[in-house]
Amino acid sequence: MEETEQNVVPETPKRTDFEQRERVTAKYLKEMREALKRTKEPKKKEKELAPKKLELLVTIVNRHKAEFYQDLIQQFEVNMQMAMMARGTAAREILQILGLADNAKTVIFSVIKQDRIPDVKKALEEKFTTVNDGKGIAFTVPMTSVVGVAVYKFLTDNRKEVKEG
Amino acid sequence: MEFTHEVIFCIVNDGFGDEAMNIAKKAGATGGTIINARGSASKSAESYFHIVIQPEKEIVMILVPSEQRDAILHALYREAGLETPGHGIVFSLPVDNVIGMNKSVGAENK
Repeated sequence: MEETEQNVVPETPKRTDFEQRERVTAKYLKEMREALKRTKEPKKKEKELAPKKLELLVTIVNRHKAEFYQDLIQQFEVNMQMAMMARGTAAREILQILGLADNAKTVIFSVIKQDRIPDVKKALEEKFTTVNDGKGIAFTVPMTSVVGVAVYKFLTDNRKEVKEG
Repeated sequence: MEFTHEVIFCIVNDGFGDEAMNIAKKAGATGGTIINARGSASKSAESYFHIVIQPEKEIVMILVPSEQRDAILHALYREAGLETPGHGIVFSLPVDNVIGMNKSVGAENK
């Protein structure tokens, strides 16, 4: 029994052991942090490379305001827009009988990146409420597929990629 | 993803757009947009289904809350469908990010 108790006595070497372990763990921690950094960076790149989803933005506005809204939407990295002549049918019978109703509308189809939708939504909402006679309706339909890399690049307005490739 | 609104497309022969709109209004729609278009169905399909497809068409677009969709689709199918002179084809698409419908709708979409 006494002998075993004597064995417990050497405490000083234990301390150095502890210090050594601390040093080792610090070294490991440093290495791990560096490794984490290395793994994080390429992940970011992957995220950037993933194809962005596209949506079809449909905007219905008065015909004489069509160009204004097309220009507005174009600011949000939109490369292709189609506008077609249409007429509205909201209830204005009395005005129509008097020949005062201006129901000429334009439907604008724009292909837009999904991540730009909140911005364009905000801008359109503001213009719909503030611009005189600029009231309109807008909504988006998600696009499920696009065929062709060049077509996708064109629709996403990715000019840099197209130049390099 | 939940869609609060749907857009109903109703493709009818030229001149039946307003009639389709009236039917939709009776079923609860408030307004719509009519676009002029041209059909291009194949001749063989025309003879097979015994319908004559006149090239001049009108596309009626109606944006409605999702819960109104079924009523309007049914009404259009019954009264402006393929069996009627309008030869209507009706379908709907779910849409999101709806702007400009009215104030209560805008509050829902926040």
